[in-house]
Amino acid sequence: MSLAHPDLAGTGALVRFALRRDRLRLPLWVALGAGLVASQSVSSQTLYDSPVALAAYRASVGSNAATIAFAGPPVGLDTVAGAVAFEISASVMLAAALMAMFTTGRHTRADEEAGRTELVRSARVGRHAPLVAAVVVSSLACVATALAIGLVATATGLPVLGSFLLGASVGACGLVFTGIAAVAAQVSESTRSTYGLVGALFGVAFVLRAAGDINGSRLSWASPVGWAQAVHPFSDNRWFPLLLCLVATGALVAVAMTLLDHRDLGSGLLPARPGPPTAGWLLSSPLGLAVRLQRGALIAWTVSLALLGAVYGGVGEAVETLFADNPQAQIFFPGTSSAGLVDAYLATIFAFEALLAAAFAVSSVLRARAEEASGRAEPVLATATSRSAWLGGHVTVALLGSALLIAASGACTALVRAVATGEGSAFGRLFAASLAYVPAVWVLAGVTVALFGLVPRAAAGLAWGMVAYVLVVTMLARGLDWPAWVDDLSPISWTPLAPIESWTASAAAGLGAVAVGLLAVGFGAFLHRDLSTG
Amino acid sequence: MNAAVSVAGLVKTFGATRALDGLDLEVATGEVHGFLGPNGSGKSTTIRVLLGLLRADSGTVRLLDGDPWRDAVALHRRLAYVPGDVTLWPGISGGETIDLLGRLHGGLDPARRADLLERFDLDPRKKARSYSKGNRQKVALVAALASDAELLILDEPTSGLDPLMEAVFQENIREVRAQGRTVLLSSHILAEAEALCDRVSIIRHGRTVQSGSLSELRHLTRTSIAAETARPVTGLESLPGVHDPAVRDGRVRFDVDTDHLDDALRHLAGFGVRSLRSAPPTLEELFLRHYGDELAEDGVPLAAPGRP
Repeated sequence: MSLAHPDLAGTGALVRFALRRDRLRLPLWVALGAGLVASQSVSSQTLYDSPVALAAYRASVGSNAATIAFAGPPVGLDTVAGAVAFEISASVMLAAALMAMFTTGRHTRADEEAGRTELVRSARVGRHAPLVAAVVVSSLACVATALAIGLVATATGLPVLGSFLLGASVGACGLVFTGIAAVAAQVSESTRSTYGLVGALFGVAFVLRAAGDINGSRLSWASPVGWAQAVHPFSDNRWFPLLLCLVATGALVAVAMTLLDHRDLGSGLLPARPGPPTAGWLLSSPLGLAVRLQRGALIAWTVSLALLGAVYGGVGEAVETLFADNPQAQIFFPGTSSAGLVDAYLATIFAFEALLAAAFAVSSVLRARAEEASGRAEPVLATATSRSAWLGGHVTVALLGSALLIAASGACTALVRAVATGEGSAFGRLFAASLAYVPAVWVLAGVTVALFGLVPRAAAGLAWGMVAYVLVVTMLARGLDWPAWVDDLSPISWTPLAPIESWTASAAAGLGAVAVGLLAVGFGAFLHRDLSTG
Repeated sequence: MNAAVSVAGLVKTFGATRALDGLDLEVATGEVHGFLGPNGSGKSTTIRVLLGLLRADSGTVRLLDGDPWRDAVALHRRLAYVPGDVTLWPGISGGETIDLLGRLHGGLDPARRADLLERFDLDPRKKARSYSKGNRQKVALVAALASDAELLILDEPTSGLDPLMEAVFQENIREVRAQGRTVLLSSHILAEAEALCDRVSIIRHGRTVQSGSLSELRHLTRTSIAAETARPVTGLESLPGVHDPAVRDGRVRFDVDTDHLDDALRHLAGFGVRSLRSAPPTLEELFLRHYGDELAEDGVPLAAPGRP
């Protein structure tokens, strides 16, 4: 198919226009990927500067299912370069997938939803052009990320071939998620649900490869993230998984184009169903409206986190096996029981699940900002609804919803562990441990409310920056050699590492007080400022 | 009875922009008040201040004998609002939205709701995502009109409606007025204001430039006269209030200030009038007079206002 095909007319102009619109975003995404790799490369080479240190690292990682669950297959750990790839590839691949999702979604469904595609398509622009242009732009960004990673890895002293293969594997992961986002943008009718669908698929892909990598099974090959990681840069240096990613991307884009041919502009694949002619009982208060607006997201998050909790709970068994199979690890952890190691693993899992719940809490609070910015808050606040009741509705959903998510994932992890070990008492102990993270999550929600009140226009950027910061600190701080205050800024760090450390009332009360203070600041500022649209 | 809305010297700035610059507005209880001005003149900003969504920098603002910022919730029970740019929740149906806004307001009359849906020809089952701009506007209008609010604040409520629906809207506003309720209607469509409003305020650059009943304002306007006379008309130039007279081949054309119309016609009668055409003054003309200098600055040629 040449660019002269009428369905593709205007693709070149749209690509240039999209690059113009994204002239700031895309370089930032590429810099994020390259920066993560560079920082990891430098710190790993400092940390594992001797063969002994590297051997110790290999032993501890080889027996730590939690690390494998988050990072990838433990291969190539006999070199520092291999250790870099192992530690950072999952994070960079997540970043590449998000970049692909946002770039593709922004130039397809988001434009279509806003009515911009209609305007563009009324010009001499072919039916496939907007989709193909979005795919091209996202693919260019993936290639740029791949090259940038190859360059910084080489520049920081890692082998050239492996460096560029590491970059290529990250880019390939981004390409597959470009294809997945292209399909999702055809299936769902709104941008929000497009991102939800892609995010859920990334979650499934990540869990599949986590389960496969821990058990050393073929399950990893069911996941595009698994394919990308099967490149094994710096050790096996395999090319064929990259080919697999390319083929999958091509197939997904072809599917997206076929779907595009079979639907109307502005609609999804499923015809829009009529709604009820009158409102139910829920839509009679600001809280009811907030619940109704966030119901779909809350259900999707709850189901995802419950499944994730069950999967990670099931992996607990492999932690024991890994430990038993690894005599070296038993030397490096003298006196550690396998049960203690499982608890350490579960503490990491609970912290991770709490972070996901915090991401929900932040997006939920920011829903209030989206309502304000779009002008939808205005008619509601022009009724006999006070500002505090209106904001309170969204904040209530954020606080109770995030607690529900933590409880759902914690309960599933605890239940699976209790069944696996045959100890009924394990359920209560582990469920309670997971709940220890609720106050920390509420602090993050509180910060978002305060930002919403004080700096509404910058709130979304700052709040998501905070989530990224806490995520990086929680997951990587121990691996990267950062000063202590970096760690201390994250409320997750103030929470006892339940279940290894025991829950303390003082920590919970302290975090709770901070959360209440932040909420008070946010509400106070919102009650005294102008409503700001746009 | 006190005024429904009373604004004096209202100032509101956004950064360096002075959106409202000493605005005055007086809406009497029971009247339909037209709030006129071109885009960006500060109409929506004024309304947002009246709703307590924005805080006034200075000036006094009274709404239904209350402070719109401090008493927002109590006042909102007594008013209904239709925003200029209606955005709705894409996944929620029109009927649900009407009920939600009605309930949050403090209740709405189901019979009136059904009647309005019928008159505005609105399908309440459709999700807001699939509504056109006009239909979104109808959702907000039905929610406002089905309430028992004593004050309706409508910000350019008909900009997306077709002529048929605009007629339905005007009919509804007349009914609201007959019930003794007050309406503040912002618009830049002058025909609409002329059809509905008892009094109008014209604003520009965040200041009120004219305010009064339509007949009062017409005193400020000019009537266009075109006539054929038996003898060539002379001496028009010396008459007070006559502008741009042009006499040619027994025809005469001129504009005259409405206050001096009588004198001009008496003068004309002396020359044996064979035919006479007069174009009544319109708000359009008043508008153009107030904004004419702006248009001229932008290089837009000015047609003589009011001339057919």
